[in-house]
Amino acid sequence: MARRKNGVLIKGLILAPYLIILYLLQSTVFTHLQLMGTKPLLLPVAAAGIAFFCGRVEGGVFGLLAGMLMDLSYNQLTVQFTLLMTFLGILVGLLSDTVLAQGFPSYLLSCALELALVSGYQILSQWVLGNAPMALTAPVALRQSLYSLIFSLPLYYLSRFYFRVTRSGRTV
Amino acid sequence: MKDLISKKVIRIGVAAVLAALLAAVTVALSGGSAGFAAMLSEPFFKPLKSALTSLVGSLEHVYDYMYRFDEMEAENAELKKRVAQLEQDYREYTEISEENGRLRSLLGFVERHEEMTLEPATVISWTASNFSSSFTASKGSDAGIALYDPVVDEYGNLVGQVTSVSGASCVVSTVVDTTLSLGAQMYENGEAGVAGGDFALMKEGDLKLSYISNTTNLVIGNTVITSGSGGVYPAGLVIGTVSGIAVGSSGLDPYAIVEPACDIDALAHVYVITEFAVSE
Repeated sequence: MARRKNGVLIKGLILAPYLIILYLLQSTVFTHLQLMGTKPLLLPVAAAGIAFFCGRVEGGVFGLLAGMLMDLSYNQLTVQFTLLMTFLGILVGLLSDTVLAQGFPSYLLSCALELALVSGYQILSQWVLGNAPMALTAPVALRQSLYSLIFSLPLYYLSRFYFRVTRSGRTV
Repeated sequence: MKDLISKKVIRIGVAAVLAALLAAVTVALSGGSAGFAAMLSEPFFKPLKSALTSLVGSLEHVYDYMYRFDEMEAENAELKKRVAQLEQDYREYTEISEENGRLRSLLGFVERHEEMTLEPATVISWTASNFSSSFTASKGSDAGIALYDPVVDEYGNLVGQVTSVSGASCVVSTVVDTTLSLGAQMYENGEAGVAGGDFALMKEGDLKLSYISNTTNLVIGNTVITSGSGGVYPAGLVIGTVSGIAVGSSGLDPYAIVEPACDIDALAHVYVITEFAVSE
């Protein structure tokens, strides 16, 4: 029991600063690093990485926390990303547990899936709430996803490092 | 299926829903001003974000300086040392001059609008979203700032509106944000319309003046100001100038493309109008 508690504590001690650093980078530094007027997203890529390596339980928890920080970095009161990224964390973890092979191509696919669903949701919400035509929002969402995907490489090594350090294995 | 959706997974889902409900309840209780996550995290994140933003600003300054220095070096190597010294002096002078100009402009604006109470604030960070235009400013309800307060730059040009506020900071949606719309009129002929953000124009840094009549005489270069209708914004704040004229998809609704008077990309200091006299 005590060993299990220590394991959770170690994971928390690693993940909390990881999340906070990513959030601060996304909301301060990367808002200045625009490519063709588009800012990258780090938190969904990181959430996909943790879910891919650690499975649906840790993926869901990380997704929940990353989603809350996404809502904060988007300056919005609503909690759409809290719910969406929890769901995506569980989904990617589930796919990784069942159908996806381990390795970088599958990880990249997971990141692409997470970014595509986040962007898809943004296109939809802009269309429904902001009345913005999809023809205008889709290119922005595509650029956002492609630009964010660049950061999947460094985050791959960080997620894998976290997995190896914690030796978490899969928790069903 | 039972194995795939374990109790832990269900618990995480429930936790997410509870977090969403808690946020919704706190937003409702605070009158739509701030969610619990923002309130809880603010004391921790605000200084970190301020420090990082200022670090990025400094790095940008260093980068700009190096770039200019290289160009000058290529142009004239023997004047390099002197130019570097002049550059240093010039940067110091520019900083002082800019601050002086900003304060003078503000003084002029305040003198012209004695009925207004202004609260100065600095821009802490910009939104990470590619679908909106908003920033976090360094002061909140502790400084008397309230939801929907108008925000101007040092020249009195409209920057946007406070759309969320907590104790020590507030979120300002800029005039180009798609969620913002306000009563406006042309300064030259008094024709009324509604100014607001449009997604296509937002990426270009412009906004739209719509609901104008077909007979309105639209001239590029005309000034668009706030009409004051509704009492949310004071009348007469400069929104921008007409930079183009277009017609909506129906072919019957002309609108003007307005270039904001404030330089949104260069905003560092803003002034929140916490009180003003409503013109009847």
